[in-house]
Amino acid sequence: MVLKEIDSNKFRDMVRVATHRMGRNAEFVNSLNVFPVPDGDTGTNMNLTIESGAKAVAENTSTSVGDLTESLAKGMLMGARGNSGVISSQLFRGIYKATQGMQTLNAQELANAFSNGVATAYKAVMKPVEGTILTVARVAAQEGANKANETDDVEEVMKAIVEGAKKSLKTTPDLLPVLKQVGVVDSGGQGLLFIYEGFLEGILGENFADRYQPDKGEMDEMINAMHHQSVQTQLSTQDIKNGYCTEIMVDLTADIPDKKQFNLEEFRKHLSEIGDSLLAVSDDEVVKVHIHTEHPGSVFQYGSQFGQLGKIKIDNMRIQHETIVNDSEEKQESVDFAVIAVASGNGIRKLFESEGVNRIISGGQTMNPSTQDIIDAIKKSGAQKAIVLPNNGNIVMAAKQAAEVSDIPVGIVPTKTISQGLTAMLSFDPEMSVEDNVTSMTEDLDTVVSGEVTQANRDTTINEVEVHANDYLGIIDGDIQIDDPDLIQATVAMIEKMLDEDSEIITVMFGRDSTKKQADQVVAKLKEMHDDLEFEVHDGGQPVYNFLISVE
Amino acid sequence: MAVKIKTKKGLIDISNGVIATVVGSAATSNYGVVGMASKNAIRDGFDGILNRANYKRGVVVKSEDNEITVDVYIIIGYGLKISEVSRNVQDSVKFSLKNQLGIDTRAVNVIVQSVKVLDE
Repeated sequence: MVLKEIDSNKFRDMVRVATHRMGRNAEFVNSLNVFPVPDGDTGTNMNLTIESGAKAVAENTSTSVGDLTESLAKGMLMGARGNSGVISSQLFRGIYKATQGMQTLNAQELANAFSNGVATAYKAVMKPVEGTILTVARVAAQEGANKANETDDVEEVMKAIVEGAKKSLKTTPDLLPVLKQVGVVDSGGQGLLFIYEGFLEGILGENFADRYQPDKGEMDEMINAMHHQSVQTQLSTQDIKNGYCTEIMVDLTADIPDKKQFNLEEFRKHLSEIGDSLLAVSDDEVVKVHIHTEHPGSVFQYGSQFGQLGKIKIDNMRIQHETIVNDSEEKQESVDFAVIAVASGNGIRKLFESEGVNRIISGGQTMNPSTQDIIDAIKKSGAQKAIVLPNNGNIVMAAKQAAEVSDIPVGIVPTKTISQGLTAMLSFDPEMSVEDNVTSMTEDLDTVVSGEVTQANRDTTINEVEVHANDYLGIIDGDIQIDDPDLIQATVAMIEKMLDEDSEIITVMFGRDSTKKQADQVVAKLKEMHDDLEFEVHDGGQPVYNFLISVE
Repeated sequence: MAVKIKTKKGLIDISNGVIATVVGSAATSNYGVVGMASKNAIRDGFDGILNRANYKRGVVVKSEDNEITVDVYIIIGYGLKISEVSRNVQDSVKFSLKNQLGIDTRAVNVIVQSVKVLDE
């Protein structure tokens, strides 16, 4: 059925549902408020403004839509609060002017009213900022006007207005940098969308007002906004009072023993006492909760009294926050002369860092960083000159390419193993030039013999060594020399081969797949035979290689 | 006259012209404010809307210690809630001074010098 006109009853419905919807979502709109003053009151202000208008409409008994738009505009004017409230009051002032004296509104008249509202609203601003409620109102009215040229169905026109507002709201972060920075849509625009959506629901005649349920997308948006708010307001990790972002869904239809009667208001009230950033929405079947709390368990317990718990999610926000803080600290650090090393494994990273490496690129045998990764690391270091330690034969080429296209002088020390990288670092001198550093660091590479122990993944024969799958391989300076089913024996045999009369120090780094005990066993066996050698054992934490050995 | 801010490293002196520019920009970015007016309306012409370069004629800054009091002279569009637009001006002026200059504001006095009728 095509609805040809809006009469005074319909209009009353529209205002009533819109007001209700705005009220329900005021808190959410508040959470988006970062512009022009981030005081988090846009939703409250818009709500008070529209409520004042709705009150005036309710008190007016006229059967003429024109009289009601006048009451709405006057009520909103009297009750206008905040920038967004003033703007919406002016929008509706324009709508009232365009509908003066009309008994009913047809599709064309409805569209004209919105267009006139926008025209009026734009007049009272010196510097219209795009990406605000004004933009949303303008695009919405435009879409409405287009639709009114095609159809005389007011429902269709109002739908187009809502769609236009939605579409425009999504673009606000692109138009207004401060929104993009914080990652939210414009709060006033969102408020206006709620009002317009309420109008549409009022026209459709469904009683959405008392059971408005945000869809999944909206809920996610709300949660993002909530997260945002806590990041905005909490400057240091220690300041996070409620550390766990907890989400649950309770299936109210489930049969459980001692089931309590569900009441959303009470439910909210109880939860608000054990956390903040609370969002709880429900329909007859399910309640969805998002809350920041120190006691996720008590949220589950409380929720489970009303039905079965559905989806459950807990995030530790302190860890999330630390990550954010660490990331931003990393970006700020800048040095004059940077050393960038490719490595994997926490222990090895720490060893490099303790030697003065500024930046580590994750990588190694199974995940070679690209040239771009290396260029990025050089850029992020903010340095005037840099040295790169590829620490793997396969990465040397990529590193050389990165050096060629870099804007700053970059030297590559062609280290093929982690051991070589660590040794090269000992010769690094930030006071010397890039070239001199490359020369002196490269010279030292010959003094170190590198050994790697890893597990074979298939049968083969290389360098006259017969390799069996799952045996341990000893690789000396890149050549497979040892194959032994026993890890300790393979490692000891490999080190024996690496030794010569000048050898003094042996460094053993055990990886993710081996233990300190195994490393100690290797050292003990070697000490029996060579009492003149010094041993160092480190937890390298590297993947793939059970042991990385350097002999100097 | 200017605002002096004492810091550990020395004195920061912010001239009134700077403050007037920040205040004027903040005030005129508010919805409903259609212009800045001169504080000396009779001499400068009653309805005169100031241009950007003249904002300081519509802003009076008085400073004490590290706090200041600002008087802002504005023109508001007809048909808008004057009290609310003025309150928005107070909020945004206070916010901008803190945000851009690090100055705390004791008071922002808004003087609505005129109302401009916008054609409807």
